[in-house]
Amino acid sequence: MAQKISDFRKLSKKFLRNGTAILGIALLSFFIVIAIFAPFIAGENGDNPYQIPRVSWSSKPIAPTAEHPFGVIGGRDIFYGVIWGTRTAFQLGLIIASCAAVIGILIGSVSAYFGGWVDEVLMRIVDIFMSIPFLVAAIILTTILGKGLDKVMMALIVFGWMSTARLIRGNILQAREEQYVLAAKALGQKNFIIIVKHIIPNTIFPVVVQMSMRIGSYVITAAGLSFLGIGAEPGYADWGTILSYSRNWMTMLDQSWFAIVFPGTAMVLFVLAWNLVGDALRDIFDPRLRN
Amino acid sequence: MDKKPLLKVQDLKTYFHTDDGLVKAVDGVSFEVYPGETLGIVGESGCGKSVTSLSVMRLLDEKGEIAGGSITFNGEDVLAIPEEKMMKIRGNDMAMIFQEPMTALNPVFTIGYQIIEAILLHQKVSSEEARAMAIDMLRKVGIPEPEKRVDEYPHELSGGMRQRAMIAMSLSCNPKILFADEPTTALDVTIQAQILELMLSLQKEYGMSIVMITHDLGVIAELAERVAVMYAGRIVEYADVVTLFKKPKHPYTWGLMNAIPKIDDEKEILYNIKGVVPDPLSFPEGCRFNTRCPLAKDKCFTDVPPLEEFEKDHFVACFRINELEEMIKSEREGELSAK
Repeated sequence: MAQKISDFRKLSKKFLRNGTAILGIALLSFFIVIAIFAPFIAGENGDNPYQIPRVSWSSKPIAPTAEHPFGVIGGRDIFYGVIWGTRTAFQLGLIIASCAAVIGILIGSVSAYFGGWVDEVLMRIVDIFMSIPFLVAAIILTTILGKGLDKVMMALIVFGWMSTARLIRGNILQAREEQYVLAAKALGQKNFIIIVKHIIPNTIFPVVVQMSMRIGSYVITAAGLSFLGIGAEPGYADWGTILSYSRNWMTMLDQSWFAIVFPGTAMVLFVLAWNLVGDALRDIFDPRLRN
Repeated sequence: MDKKPLLKVQDLKTYFHTDDGLVKAVDGVSFEVYPGETLGIVGESGCGKSVTSLSVMRLLDEKGEIAGGSITFNGEDVLAIPEEKMMKIRGNDMAMIFQEPMTALNPVFTIGYQIIEAILLHQKVSSEEARAMAIDMLRKVGIPEPEKRVDEYPHELSGGMRQRAMIAMSLSCNPKILFADEPTTALDVTIQAQILELMLSLQKEYGMSIVMITHDLGVIAELAERVAVMYAGRIVEYADVVTLFKKPKHPYTWGLMNAIPKIDDEKEILYNIKGVVPDPLSFPEGCRFNTRCPLAKDKCFTDVPPLEEFEKDHFVACFRINELEEMIKSEREGELSAK
């Protein structure tokens, strides 16, 4: 146990020396704080806090003022949308990425472990799913399922698990041939334990890193769907929804820039945070990179 | 030797079903290992030495199949033991060390963790006791500061240290027999000598048998008591180490011995056995050495030479043992004229 603690200290020390990792963690903590304290930062809109309050009935954008620091578009307060949108972003990213990862790990490891025709069938299914362009598939599925953030999540999960499946399958196939697996067998270890103890820890890091990096990109995709008007319902506190309001004002950026800049910045920083954290996670988890 | 063999392999045949066809990697190999002795299995890469040891431990992958023969270990028929019992035997009674100590240790765990895992698998001790045993084992294999090293990852150790850790792991449950598959090939020459010395001293301490698989005749000379020379999946000569080095009777063994550079030799070109090892997918009919053997004629191309006792405890599989002297003479002349 004492060793684990000193190990942790060693790691955190190394981690703190890594500039990009600190930036990533700082950004992510910043978003987490905003998400947690959203009601105190932007207030709470009655019984449905995820609905951006209507502050004006005119569709004309209102430039930032003291009362509405990020301005108003489509009659909605952008500040409220961006702050509460942080919660939405976390929900979207974490749920989609973890569900997709679980499905991918399950299918990938079953495929690699059983091999033969099971592998063949599953990998062809992966190929079929992969052959459909991701965004097109997501658009079609959300259109079929109907409006709402849960439908967006479902669509992105359905078309988001394949790369994880391939990644973990490839890694397991590779790790299975490693000599330490043979060595563990030579020591009389059981097959199941070899998989759990020796193969998974050697194959899971890339998946974790991939997952954390994809959290950001899922948020972007969801925002894209919202922007196209097939994502979240109108007025939902979601970065993409705010962007969709600015659609009609695209040609008049001098009047509507704030509707793009603020949620856009939030999105860029959010993606950046997860990417940096992904890199940092790889450095922490993978002992092979600990030198 | 009148003692009962610990391991008796008889007419072992291991075939691999590859996409290109059937590979008879081991084809009728027989040998015995007595308690506390070291048997060397020597041969070129691809001659089936590693496959032999993997067969004995029943660690072949799906493509490999033991197609015939028998393996008796400690009085039990290894091929009839159910897999579950085999798991208990592996690590506990039979252990193995590998060529590449970097890849044979799991990079994500500390070496201590891996040794403890092996101990806990076979012995009923608490994890604290197992840790103490692991440290003790690391000390025995000559790792300095074992209390500290036990918590280090494989990549933090040098190649020699890793191989020592690997040996510690294999010996942690005090096996009766240790298969050492080219344990020193990946190491520096000086480290090689240290590891061999370590293995000898551990063998004395624990009294285990060692099957030393190597292509390095120097290692054999240092460690083994008896030697089986393998060529293309078969044993071609089988004798005690002194006889083998002094009076090799098979043309292949002689070629191997003659290919070793000697310090007092003034050869400019080292001797080499002509030709290459035949493709395992299509081994020649008859004696498998016939494609490279200067003596090969008639029967050598049609019949498989049996491994016969030439002198007491000296087995040779060759039809032309009596003509070897002439061959040596002509080969020597050939070497001289090449100068």
